[in-house]
Amino acid sequence: MADSEVDTRQREILVRVRDLTKRFDDLLVLDNISFNVYRHEFLCIVGPTGCGKTTFLNSLTRLYDITSGEILLDNEPVDLRKHNISYVFQEASAMPWLTVEDNIRFGLKIRKFSKDVADARVEDVIKLVNLQKFRNYYPAQLSIGMLQRVVIARAFATNPTLLLMDEPYGQLDIELRYMLEDELIAIWEKTRATVVFITHNIEEAVYLGQRILVLTNKPATIKREIVNDLPRPRNIADHKFVELRETVTQLIKWW
Amino acid sequence: MGNKTVNLIGKNSMRIVLTLLPIIGFLILWQLAAMFTSIGNLMPGPIQVIESLFISFAKPLGPHTIQMHALYSLKRVMVGYGSAVVTGIIFGVSLGLSKMFRALFRPLFELIRPIPTVAWIPISILWFGVDEMSKYFIVFYGAFANVALSVYMGIQRVDPVLVGAAKMLGCSERQLTFKVVLPSCIPYIFSGMQVALSAGIMSVVVAEMINSYEGIGWNIHAGQQTANMTQVLTGMVALAIFGLLMAAILRQVERRMCAWNTRNT
Ligand SMILES: Nc1ncnc2c1ncn2[C@@H]1O[C@H](COP(=O)(O)OP(=O)(O)OP(=O)(O)O)[C@@H](O)[C@H]1O
Ligand SMILES: [Mg+2]
Repeated sequence: MADSEVDTRQREILVRVRDLTKRFDDLLVLDNISFNVYRHEFLCIVGPTGCGKTTFLNSLTRLYDITSGEILLDNEPVDLRKHNISYVFQEASAMPWLTVEDNIRFGLKIRKFSKDVADARVEDVIKLVNLQKFRNYYPAQLSIGMLQRVVIARAFATNPTLLLMDEPYGQLDIELRYMLEDELIAIWEKTRATVVFITHNIEEAVYLGQRILVLTNKPATIKREIVNDLPRPRNIADHKFVELRETVTQLIKWW
Repeated sequence: MGNKTVNLIGKNSMRIVLTLLPIIGFLILWQLAAMFTSIGNLMPGPIQVIESLFISFAKPLGPHTIQMHALYSLKRVMVGYGSAVVTGIIFGVSLGLSKMFRALFRPLFELIRPIPTVAWIPISILWFGVDEMSKYFIVFYGAFANVALSVYMGIQRVDPVLVGAAKMLGCSERQLTFKVVLPSCIPYIFSGMQVALSAGIMSVVVAEMINSYEGIGWNIHAGQQTANMTQVLTGMVALAIFGLLMAAILRQVERRMCAWNTRNT
């Protein structure tokens, strides 16, 4: 554990969050949060329902204005037109009027990738999420699980510096979730993207994360940072896994 | 497999029977009533009407054959409705996208909109005379608000999650408008166009009944003037076919252009 913490500190910082505070009028949601996201890591953020997880991501991406504090990406304030950040929302967000393939291509077109590069990227990610056969389908013709894969493929297609995921599997049944979690890890290992993954499912956080930030109830602060160096593929029945899951559960239980 | 096909045929023919049964029943009742009751003194039965409709393809009703009347009406609908669709979309989009435009024109729009189409006929004759222009105007007026309102509503109902997703993918404000807001309005545009089409056809008939020498609406009016119930009913049947065809064509266009919105059909 001590070793990995040193390792963590030596890594390159991608996102620097300093004293982030966010209020909605009188409602204090994020209370003076500071932490780093390191390049190429898989960071999980867990917290109770309604504690401000979505608010945090929306602040980070500047979809919300922040009340005070600072968020730097590569030492610059976040600018969506310039920085290549992908965000998988809690809600379904595939464009209904575009086919699977065109949905995946959307960000590549907006960011003006050349046609050749875009074609190649689309082929790559469509294979990763196993949707080759459905490339000409419209979202209305797909199941929820497939829709979520479209959105994930779209997010990975632009080769984002930072990938934010807000409980992307919250609505799915357990079998499908396991499958997509494994798929996600495979894609992450392949692309070396930096992932910030939000969930209130503790098992999911322990299964996926290299590092886990546990948030308190609202107003959210960071309760604890946990380094998770369990070897992959992880086994949810393994006693070390269970132990870690219990630790996180206790942290969330005792405010 | 064989079973399924049989089943499918069974289901389809069942639907056709269910569709036709009330129609045929209605026609039979009408025919019987015309033949055996005093209703027969007032109006002809369906056989006579349909016969008259077929005859009118060759023998003019008033100045024109029925298909020429239909062409006159069609031209008026196309010009008036077509311009209403184009300007209605532009107006609705502007209402939805620009606060300034909304502040300026929404009150005026709301003020004029409740005035029924028919009420504009005297003024349209005064402004545009008795020729085609006044009919175009009436059809235009009847259709415009339906398109504009529907498009405006579509813009207001754009899914904020999709807007957020598009922003995250790097869209500028301009790209948001063209790549998210407008595409997501397309179903609203079509539903506005459908409603506007009925309103436009209604308007052309009203305009032709009051101020015209040709068109399907004129037929109905002329039949009433000469107490020729067969002509009135022939006009009405022609109108039903006319409206049905137009709506079916528009639905086909929608299905082509908007395939993503029609789930499994
Ligand atoms: N746009 C907003 N305006 C006002 N209050 C808001 C807004 N967005 C969120 N809140 C409030 O902030 C708090 C945190 O909300 P948030 O959606 O960030 O929680 P969450 O951790 O993502 O919850 P969940 O687990 O349900 O997704 C809630 O009390 C919510 O009511
Ligand atoms: Mg949330």
